[in-house]
Amino acid sequence: MHLILHIVFCCCLLATVAPSVNSAKYDLKRSVWPQRSKRHLSLAALGTLENSQFVRPDDVKDSMMPHSSTDISVRTKRSKNSISQSRRPGCSLGTCTVHVLAHRVHDFNNRLKIGNAPPEKISPLGYGRRRRSVPEKVISLRQEGRRLRLMWSSSRVDKLEALLKRT
Amino acid sequence: MISSFWMICLLLLGSVTQLIVLASPEVNDSQQQRPNNVYNDLTVTRNKIVTAQFECYQKIINDNSPNGRAPVCNRTWDGWLCWDDTEAGITSEQQCPDYFMDFDPTETVTKTCTESGHWFSHPDSNRTWTNFTRCNLHTNEGRRTAMNLFYLALIGHGLSLTSLFISLAIFFHFKSLSCQRITLHKNLFFSFVLNSIVTIIWLTAVANNQELVQQNPVSCKVSQFIHLYIFGCNYFWMLCEGVYLHTLIVVAVFAEKQHLMWYYLLGWGFPLIPATIHAVARSYYYDDNCWISSNTSLLYIIHGPICAALLVNLFFLLNIVRVLITKLKVTHQAESSLYMKAVRATLILVPLLGIQYVLLPYKPSERVSAEIYDYIMHILMHYQGLLVATIFCFFNGEVQAVLRRYWNQYRIQFGSTFTHSDAMRSASYTASSITEEQGCYSIDGHSEHLNGKNCHDINNFVKPDNPFA
Repeated sequence: MHLILHIVFCCCLLATVAPSVNSAKYDLKRSVWPQRSKRHLSLAALGTLENSQFVRPDDVKDSMMPHSSTDISVRTKRSKNSISQSRRPGCSLGTCTVHVLAHRVHDFNNRLKIGNAPPEKISPLGYGRRRRSVPEKVISLRQEGRRLRLMWSSSRVDKLEALLKRT
Repeated sequence: MISSFWMICLLLLGSVTQLIVLASPEVNDSQQQRPNNVYNDLTVTRNKIVTAQFECYQKIINDNSPNGRAPVCNRTWDGWLCWDDTEAGITSEQQCPDYFMDFDPTETVTKTCTESGHWFSHPDSNRTWTNFTRCNLHTNEGRRTAMNLFYLALIGHGLSLTSLFISLAIFFHFKSLSCQRITLHKNLFFSFVLNSIVTIIWLTAVANNQELVQQNPVSCKVSQFIHLYIFGCNYFWMLCEGVYLHTLIVVAVFAEKQHLMWYYLLGWGFPLIPATIHAVARSYYYDDNCWISSNTSLLYIIHGPICAALLVNLFFLLNIVRVLITKLKVTHQAESSLYMKAVRATLILVPLLGIQYVLLPYKPSERVSAEIYDYIMHILMHYQGLLVATIFCFFNGEVQAVLRRYWNQYRIQFGSTFTHSDAMRSASYTASSITEEQGCYSIDGHSEHLNGKNCHDINNFVKPDNPFA
């Protein structure tokens, strides 16, 4: 009887591990692209900007947060004129509230960020589209001595760098 | 090399102008305190935007999925966010970016693709436009709620710590109380204490300390690991209490003492596994600063097992109540008092077993109801230690009896002559040792007599004259 009880509990514990494995798989699938882009990006940052701390690796990591980054595919909804509920990637269980609170406190009180969003950027004259077309040229990696260097394989390097600086 | 030097100069110049134009008074103050950090401080927003833009261009260049059918709005970078190719007539939405302090990342940004396959242009300006207006609409309320919850949590954990320390002192000081059930209580209380301490540290020293998160030292990731481990321990000790009670009351076959080793393994050992898996997975797939973000499904690695433990506890609770009702029915009591007792037993056991989290499992998505849910959940979570200490120590009949006896002894000792008190003390000592014999030993010995005098927990529920214990 003792043994049976122990076996039942072992099964319970195994069952608890299963969902976590599932969620890990889910995240793995989703994070293949950011993983790659992260490498690209830090390489690019290092290569093109010569460690100038223009974009530091930490910031790159930080901006991997889904809402601020571009790696999560944009959710679209089919029905017009109705705000559909978008599924958030976070944890919405009751026990997660303490992490959510910590994150919110961190977000709202981050004095290192600019306090107020410029109102003119939100106004009708504000953000819409900066670029008119997709560039035809592709970036490529070039071997330079012992390290890789990111290059724009076209004459539009200057233009893109200018774009990068202007935000 | 020269070009990068110029770039740094340009950036510094840019940040200085930003400082003059945009800095609010308190930011200025913090600047003056740490003059060597000027460069870093105001470029966080800038860095985020530049990084997002860089990624967006990479994505635009790399991603060339063919679509020939319907007219689409081309993928674009709108200045703050990246938008994928969107079919005509569809409104695309994303979460607000976290570039600015007054942007609420839980709100959404929308960009409409018109029927003709062009991005929506604002009629006022006739320019392509993304709707960012909702991002800073409710931020002030959101911030106020977050800060209220923050202080609520701190007060709750403070009160819990005080009451838990007093309870633990009582349990450790009065040796006559010690038995298996109290040993489990001690462990549960200890996990509550650790959880409160770690949570207070995490909320105040890490979440509210932007410089630390920005520096992203290894120690803060370690503290997040410890936080999650202790958090898990707390819930698994609730599971242990459930398992123990269930074994004692329902699986009454074992006459012998239960092996506490299994409980220790489950309570302190098992939570290491999800915490470790989470740490490894987080460092590979979602390595944000201090692992503070809650926007990742990797958190389910911690909360999945916790949820499962709570579900098992719910099953135990239902089973215990079922057995309790059957046993009470045998004693031919009036129906109403019987159900009152069952309800009372359930209410007593809910905070001990953490059932409240199962009853309110998911956060609603609507804003007002989500806020109400947040308040309820935080009160339940941060004041649980206080509640458990109150019910299972201060309202416990044995503890009250021991304390009363101790108090009487103390009063007599200081109220009368020395020899007199000495005699009284020895008398009360024998009395306590007798109750000890009757109390805990019998729980371990004859647990088959369920509603007899052997098991105190059951005894508590059955006794009509005593409200809780």
